[in-house]
Amino acid sequence: MSERKRVLIVDDDPDFAAGIRAILDAQYDTAVMHNPEDGWDALQKDHYDLLCLDIMMGRGAEGVMMARKIRKDNVLREMPVLIITGLREQIAFLFPGQAVHPGFVPVDELMEKPVEPELLLQKAAALIAASEARKSR
Amino acid sequence: MTEQRRRILLIDDEEVVLDSCLAILEGSEHEVALASSGAEGLDTARAWAPDLVFVDLKMPGMSGMQVLEEIRSLDPTVVCIVFTGFATIASAVEAMQHGAFDFLPKPFTPDEFRTMIRRGLEQRALVVERVALRREREALRENFAAIVSHELRSPLAAVQQNLFVTITELEGVVSEDQQRRLERMSSRIGDLLALVNRWLRGFTVDVAPLRDGFRPVAISAPVANALESARTEAVRKAVEVVAEVDPAATVLGDEGALTEAVLNVVGNAVKYSREGGTVVVSAVSRDGKVVISVTDTGVGIPAADLPRIFDAFYRGQAGESGVAGAGIGLALTRRIVEAHGGSITATSDPGRGSVFVIALPAHGTPVPGTEGAPPEQVLEGEKG
Repeated sequence: MSERKRVLIVDDDPDFAAGIRAILDAQYDTAVMHNPEDGWDALQKDHYDLLCLDIMMGRGAEGVMMARKIRKDNVLREMPVLIITGLREQIAFLFPGQAVHPGFVPVDELMEKPVEPELLLQKAAALIAASEARKSR
Repeated sequence: MTEQRRRILLIDDEEVVLDSCLAILEGSEHEVALASSGAEGLDTARAWAPDLVFVDLKMPGMSGMQVLEEIRSLDPTVVCIVFTGFATIASAVEAMQHGAFDFLPKPFTPDEFRTMIRRGLEQRALVVERVALRREREALRENFAAIVSHELRSPLAAVQQNLFVTITELEGVVSEDQQRRLERMSSRIGDLLALVNRWLRGFTVDVAPLRDGFRPVAISAPVANALESARTEAVRKAVEVVAEVDPAATVLGDEGALTEAVLNVVGNAVKYSREGGTVVVSAVSRDGKVVISVTDTGVGIPAADLPRIFDAFYRGQAGESGVAGAGIGLALTRRIVEAHGGSITATSDPGRGSVFVIALPAHGTPVPGTEGAPPEQVLEGEKG
């Protein structure tokens, strides 16, 4: 259990991704992809314990598409997804009629950019722990 | 301005009228179409999209009044002028009530006709411009959230995110002074992000859903939160903030939103105070209402600005204070207050200070000294 968990960061803003990565590097093995396609490929190739996903990428809410794809995937659907987005309110526009927290992946969490380093580490740890607990059940 | 070709449609059952109008317009730069009945005129209006329509009120078949209404419902920006054969004031007035821009009594001279055309086309240009501006404003509003969030907020968030990490990493490595400067940078970026968020919220957030989460809130709580948030700036400007809050005053509402509403007003009071000034915040329960008033001894608001201060993006003159806001705080405050079934008003004595009063429906048992029980909260029917 002592091996480091792996976290994939998918965000099209390289500076922001670097900021997130620097925080997570302290406790995890991290990888960064800058678009949903590369992110998806990375998820196919390697196992990750957590995905940190930006929503507004490319031509719009491409992160949402990626999240939906993950939810439909038999292998990846159990992977925790931490959504880190520019604006919570925008999520409400993308998911009209739903609460601000969209819940489109059963195990996701949502944080607003920029994220407090402590809080990010807490959320990441909690999501990974919850996922482990589900698996061992 | 170069004159572009405009389309004028003339509808009259009297051939002699059409002919003479055509003669008057001969050699003008305008395009002209003629119709000898209401039905024909309407068909032309649909197919040809005129700028200006002259229509005779008294025609066999479809009446001029009917044609007028149909054309207006087709395109309300088309300017319609009626010919009145027997110039009774009554029919002219009725036509104006149905959307005619003006009326021209028959018989008319060529000059009268030309003048009417000029006025009609000027009106048309104004209407078209107004519609275009309104459309532009709506498009701006719709795109605003996307533009601001992605183009402005993203880089700020990226900078802040890296400052967060860097500050932690450099602790103990750089001098205390350098550490303090880094923290100031982060704090200023934080202010900027908060400002962008406020803009966005003022523009895009629908306050109506707040009502679903309304709970009884002692007004002392949001007032205390707001005062706490305003304190840094007050201390910096040596502005004394005095609060007198009735601890029993309670409203049905959203504590966070109420905090924001009060903070916007108190923050303004501090911002527009002179150094060493005083801001008095009071919250009392009276006559079934919780009344929060914020009184400052600052620069005040010019009478001309007062009616517009609650409009989005209205900033007024920076004037004596030399500070200008984003023009969002008070607009958002009003929306929050109205979502709570309340009202906000402002009075001001330029040069001597302003008083902002937020009145909200009181909740729960009446405070001793007030007459009667407060009315049940009516939460629907406010603007959404």
